[in-house]
Amino acid sequence: MTTTVSAAGLSLRYGSTHALDDVSLRLGEGVTGLLGPNGAGKTTLLRVLATALPADSGAFTVLGHDPGTTAGRQAVRRVLGYLPQTPGFHPDFTAFEFVDYVAILKELTDRGGRHREVRRVLEEVDLSDVRGKRIKKLSGGMRQRVALAAALVGDPGFLVLDEPTVGLDPEQRMRFRELIARAGEGRTVLLSTHQTEDVAMLCHRVVVMAGGTVRFDGTPAELTARAAGRVWSGTERDPAAMAGWRTGLGAFRNVGDPPPGAELVEPTLEDGYLITLDGMAAEVAA
Amino acid sequence: MTWHVAEDDVRAYARGELAPPMLWSADTHIARCAECRDLLASVTDPVALDAGWERLDAELDAPKRGLVESLLVRIGVADHTARLLAATPVLRRSWLGAVVALLVMTVLVTNSLKAAASPTLFLGLAPLLPLAGVALSYGPKFDPTYEMTVVAPLHGFRLLMIRTVAVLVAGLGLNGLASLALPEYGLRALAWLLPALALTTTGLALTPRLGPVLAPSLVGGGWVAFLVVANSMHGGTLAPFTPAGQGVAAAVAALAAGLLYLLRDRFDSRPTAFGDLA
Repeated sequence: MTTTVSAAGLSLRYGSTHALDDVSLRLGEGVTGLLGPNGAGKTTLLRVLATALPADSGAFTVLGHDPGTTAGRQAVRRVLGYLPQTPGFHPDFTAFEFVDYVAILKELTDRGGRHREVRRVLEEVDLSDVRGKRIKKLSGGMRQRVALAAALVGDPGFLVLDEPTVGLDPEQRMRFRELIARAGEGRTVLLSTHQTEDVAMLCHRVVVMAGGTVRFDGTPAELTARAAGRVWSGTERDPAAMAGWRTGLGAFRNVGDPPPGAELVEPTLEDGYLITLDGMAAEVAA
Repeated sequence: MTWHVAEDDVRAYARGELAPPMLWSADTHIARCAECRDLLASVTDPVALDAGWERLDAELDAPKRGLVESLLVRIGVADHTARLLAATPVLRRSWLGAVVALLVMTVLVTNSLKAAASPTLFLGLAPLLPLAGVALSYGPKFDPTYEMTVVAPLHGFRLLMIRTVAVLVAGLGLNGLASLALPEYGLRALAWLLPALALTTTGLALTPRLGPVLAPSLVGGGWVAFLVVANSMHGGTLAPFTPAGQGVAAAVAALAAGLLYLLRDRFDSRPTAFGDLA
């Protein structure tokens, strides 16, 4: 893997809380998923890498640019596309006007060229037909796509997406996944999400964070493999299991340390994620 | 159609050499006028014609400029700067309406107290309005696009200055109109101007250190406290509105502007903390 984004020892505190605690990672081309529970530090990490927030310590580079200097920070911002967790809009803007506004913020000052770029990205997210509609009249899914279009303006090499599929219905989510997959071709995408399906469907790599630290960094298959031999099916929830639930077929799926003779089943990415988080909980308890 | 694009202009349009604003007029007119489209087709080669149609398509897609934005472009402001000025978050009808209502009430009250030597209430309030307007035009709490804005390559200080100019022009303009409604005080009714500039620049200069809420709040609160103390010590024209006070206000404004310039990179390197949003 050719490294495009590299971070070492990133730490940041809010008061007494370690939002980031010595986070190091390397990213390459393609979509990397960032999984973790609420408060894991995902959004903080994304904000730091997007230069929205300075870390207390540590360093990182994006496509060879060091944001530690004013010039380097500008250079990072020129290759960055950022979709925040709750993108804000000027409500009276149309989709075209909003993306045009962001294009101006991205220093596209030539009117003709800028408008061509706005049309290109709106087409890329399948919003050409509603480009003249006011944002306040668009559905939640369409607004997310407007925000994604804004992030894609200028063809950035590093795309940071913070929980872009939250609040979308299954059809919108699927459509958004297609867009992210397309956006990940030839660029580095860091996708924060709560949805393990997002990671399973989109990502060639996954990073799990909890308590401000990286708990896992590998492929989705490797994360899934963590649960190998630790998922079993039964007629009831096993009280010794760290998690267990009744499936649609009526049987109980248990995750944890199986009892002797348990009927083991094929693990999923979510099982691997749960096992990873449980490992962290066990460390804290110890 | 009562007019047509001149043939020379059509030829220049076909070559892509027609400059704004004539270019915009030609774009709009040619889209509606079959005669001019025929002329355009006759003076241009097919490849260039396709490029022209593509540009025309793009032009018709382009956002329609509002009144303020059109005016700014007409007086020579660059198109992209005009858009940033017009999109200043605080310059909405609700904010402008509130400012106008406040000024009208203040002028009415001031006019009802004609015995006073100075329109103190008006002069005390007017400087706070531009300060509040500038404070409300940026920061994570007030700018809906703040998070996207802060990571944009456009320098944060430049955007701040663009918005400050927009708010100051609107705010000082409204204050100026309100001053005209107090003719009996003559030039004394304009004694808010220098304190307004002093408060606004001081609030901005303190922002990198104290944040976009605390800095203007402290400056505004300090101004009110100062006026209350000055009023309790002296019954006539309050110190800031005397010639000496105006000189001090001008000096404070100049010093704060200098400090603001020195701190310009701080608006970029340490964006306002998201701690309260995380």
